[in-house]
Amino acid sequence: MIPVAHFMFISASLFCIGLYAVLTRRNTIQILIGIEFMINAAVLNFVAFGKYDKISGGGQMFALFAIVLAAAGVAVALAIILNVYRYFKSIDPTKTDTLKN
Amino acid sequence: MEVLSFIENTGLIALLVAILPFFSFVFILSSNKRKGANFALSTSSLSFLLSLHLFLQIWNAEPEHFQLSWFQVAKVQFFAGVLLNNLSVLMMVLVSGISVLVHIYSREYMKNDPNLNRYWAYLSLFCFSMIGLVISDSLLLIYLFWELVGFSSYLLIGFWFNKNAASQAAKKAFIMNRIGDLGFLTGILIIYAQFQTLDLVSLFGDKGLLSSSSTENGLWISGSRHMPEIWLSIAGFSFFLGAMAKSAQFPLHTWLPDAMEGPTSISSLLHAATMVAAGVFLIARIYSVFDPLVLDIMVWIGAFTAFMATTIALTQNDIKRILAYSTISQLGFMVMALGIGAYSESIFHLITHAFFKCLLFLAAGSVIHQLHHYSIKNRHGFDYQDIRFMGGLRKRMPFAFLGMCIASAALVGLPLTSGFLSKDSILIRTFEWAASREGVFVILPWIMVLTSWLTAFYIFRLVFKVFFSESREIKLDKLANINDSPGSMTYVLIILSFFCTFIVFALNPVSFESSWLWKGFQLSVIKEIRFFHWLVPLIINLGSILLIMFAYRIYVLDKSSKLTVGSWIYQISNRGWFFNEIYDFMFIKSVEKLAKIFYQFDRVVIDGLVIAIATITQLLSSISHWFDRKVVDGLVNATGVFSGYIGRFFRTFHSGRLQHYLITMLLFVLSFFILSYLI
Repeated sequence: MIPVAHFMFISASLFCIGLYAVLTRRNTIQILIGIEFMINAAVLNFVAFGKYDKISGGGQMFALFAIVLAAAGVAVALAIILNVYRYFKSIDPTKTDTLKN
Repeated sequence: MEVLSFIENTGLIALLVAILPFFSFVFILSSNKRKGANFALSTSSLSFLLSLHLFLQIWNAEPEHFQLSWFQVAKVQFFAGVLLNNLSVLMMVLVSGISVLVHIYSREYMKNDPNLNRYWAYLSLFCFSMIGLVISDSLLLIYLFWELVGFSSYLLIGFWFNKNAASQAAKKAFIMNRIGDLGFLTGILIIYAQFQTLDLVSLFGDKGLLSSSSTENGLWISGSRHMPEIWLSIAGFSFFLGAMAKSAQFPLHTWLPDAMEGPTSISSLLHAATMVAAGVFLIARIYSVFDPLVLDIMVWIGAFTAFMATTIALTQNDIKRILAYSTISQLGFMVMALGIGAYSESIFHLITHAFFKCLLFLAAGSVIHQLHHYSIKNRHGFDYQDIRFMGGLRKRMPFAFLGMCIASAALVGLPLTSGFLSKDSILIRTFEWAASREGVFVILPWIMVLTSWLTAFYIFRLVFKVFFSESREIKLDKLANINDSPGSMTYVLIILSFFCTFIVFALNPVSFESSWLWKGFQLSVIKEIRFFHWLVPLIINLGSILLIMFAYRIYVLDKSSKLTVGSWIYQISNRGWFFNEIYDFMFIKSVEKLAKIFYQFDRVVIDGLVIAIATITQLLSSISHWFDRKVVDGLVNATGVFSGYIGRFFRTFHSGRLQHYLITMLLFVLSFFILSYLI
């Protein structure tokens, strides 16, 4: 049986990779991918900790919800990216800095 | 008590006499037309007729006195009014009479002057102030008119004010007279302090306060009031100082010769009836204020003035200056006569002098007038007032010549003239008075005799030089068109010549005691010595005639005299005993020096102080400026700059980039965790 700590390592590194991608990428799609990494790291944690709740399977339930919500979030995010692209003719987040005004 | 406010006819008439010329002054000055001459002449004639009427009423009758309440200071009531007695009605007639003649004369004399209107206005003002002076009944009123006389003489002397000499002379006359006015005012204040009134009748009348006041134990007592005796002398001397300035007595005489810069007709009025007579009139009007000490001062100043002015007149070359010094010397006679107590003689001489001096001036004016025209017509630039350039006018101007001769004879005191009566009466009185005194007073009459002789010399020097000897400047053939002055001027000369004869004043040509005028003022207290009454006139006239013959020899027959132009005696005389130079040195130079010292004081001390204060202030302000700039502004700026830095620092967080926000957020969350672990 694989110990919980391994899952934690995997999910932490996934989270860090996702975070790194979010903070450094020059492409919004890649940032979105980074976000998905981070969500999935969290989902992995839910599933891993579901081992302690085998009766009601709360971990798995939450993981499912999270996946659905992430999918919805991606859909919304993609729509926003599409609109941003229409507006700025670019999806580079460094160029879409009108928020500072 | 309320004012005794009944004014009878005479008072009103006297007021009218004074006010008519004033009305003419106002009228002429306010109308710009050149009709001033007729108006001034008619008002002055009317005023003369009225004063003649008054004279006939009042002369030798009861003096009349009218007054109204003027104003009140505390409890003391001041009155203003008219006091008519022998002295004032006589002066009134004299002033208005002479002024009428001068008016008539001036019509011709001043005919072509561009400022004729101003001339008539000032002339009227002059008459007004003089008549006002003689009829006033209070010292305060007299003082007012006294100032007005001074002021109007200033205007008239400086009538041709675009001539520098004239405006200087006017200023000189005014300033000299201010000194006298100061004396007069001092006198008034002393009298007021002692008696609490300035009314002439209650002060100087027969039973007036002054005669009832007494001096005991060195105190001057009047009723319950008293002050040290010396104040009586000071008061007398102060009044005399006023008279000295107006009547051109010794220390204050230098303005009168300079006053010749005015028109000749004005000089004549000023010398005969108005300005200079005011001083003698004042002494006569308030005679009882003078105590023996002041009277003695008066004697010596009068005698000295008479002698000095005569010696100066000997060598003057300006025709009007000779006459001016002659006036000073005759005024000296009058003042001396008042000093010895020869009151009526002095007034007598004042009146006769007025006529013959007026005649002298008007005749001289006639000569000047004609020569002036001649010099303009022929573009002959000689000084038409200098007797050295005149000569041989006897045949050309017979009336001026005759007038001048009669007036000169009167001035010398030759028999059959008015001067014989009045001047010799003064000299006789002087001898009589000296007989009762001792010591140095004995020589006084002889000084006067000498003066009188010298008078004969200088005046006939003038007559001979102007009318007899051949002119040195003007060729005789060119003289052909010089004639007597036109009608009205010559008539005036004839009228005045008549008034220079004895017949006007006395029926007996050799006895002044028979003169109606002398009898009008019998105040003399001198013991009569009959012996002098024929001796003195004899001495005077013999000496005078000898000197006239001597002058004839020198100036007509052209025998040279020993008194050459270069000699120092000549210089002293010609330069007027250097009084102008002495005054210049004593007063003007010293005042200038003082002014220079004060100027230096101003520059060094006062300016230094001011500059030092300014420098200190500047220094202080620059310090505070520095403090403001560096410290206060620095603080403010530092605050601003600091806030700017903070703002700029926080602005870096607000880049608008999504990832930066995320990093910031992450950092905060991380630091929060780290901190929570650490603590």
